[in-house]
Amino acid sequence: MPLARRILAVVALVAGCGVVAPPPPPPARTAEAAAPQTAEPARKEVTPAPAPKTAERVAPKAPEPSKAAAPLKAPPKAAAPSAPATAPPPVAARAAAPPLDLKSLEQRLKDTDAIGVLTKLSLKNQVDDLIAHFRAFHEGQRPPTLSQLRPAFELLLMKLLSLLQDHDAKLANDINASREAIWGVLTDPKKLAQYL
Amino acid sequence: MKQIAASIMWTCASLAVIAADDPKQLKDLTAVIALQGQPCGEVVSYVAQADNDFIATCKDGNRYRVHVKDGRVVVEKK
Repeated sequence: MPLARRILAVVALVAGCGVVAPPPPPPARTAEAAAPQTAEPARKEVTPAPAPKTAERVAPKAPEPSKAAAPLKAPPKAAAPSAPATAPPPVAARAAAPPLDLKSLEQRLKDTDAIGVLTKLSLKNQVDDLIAHFRAFHEGQRPPTLSQLRPAFELLLMKLLSLLQDHDAKLANDINASREAIWGVLTDPKKLAQYL
Repeated sequence: MKQIAASIMWTCASLAVIAADDPKQLKDLTAVIALQGQPCGEVVSYVAQADNDFIATCKDGNRYRVHVKDGRVVVEKK
């Protein structure tokens, strides 16, 4: 029995040492490893740090695209309605263009405060000159050809619009919308005669 | 007499200054000169010589006489 106990005690000790021994070594190894490898842990700390950073960077990036995606999705929706919204005005302008009344436009030009008296008179002089060129054209005189008269007409209209657009935008828009109608009157001797 | 003449001169000069500061007239003259295709930029001052007869001074130094003759606006470089 004492032998058996001793054997058991030895076995227990051996087993106990075998069991107990392993735990101490790991701390010792970690301590040893930590001591000499002070630089390595630092490297290890640096390396893990970027990982979270990248994770953080990835995380914000994920929402950003989602946010960006939302506005991107929104504009098309906004653009879609805006396109139809912009489409109607030309239709309205076309609808407004036919009831062109040159006399009313002339009266509005006379009444507008956007242009000074001398400027109005100067414009009238230039309009009269252009009409004189058209009359000469209708009488069969050449050079003033239509291809030569069109740039003069456009230039005069641009001058008029540039004078009006800042202070009487509505009149400027109405005249601009009537551009082709006015050209149609000027190029048709019968229509032109009605206004002279 | 000298005092009366001086007061008249002073009144005329002050009226001319007031006229030269009228922004509407400055714009009108600027537009007229531009419509005639003359270099100016902007009229900075003017002197009214008579009805519809002005001497306009431009920002670039050019001076023009702007007046109405036979129903036409005439711009003459001075």
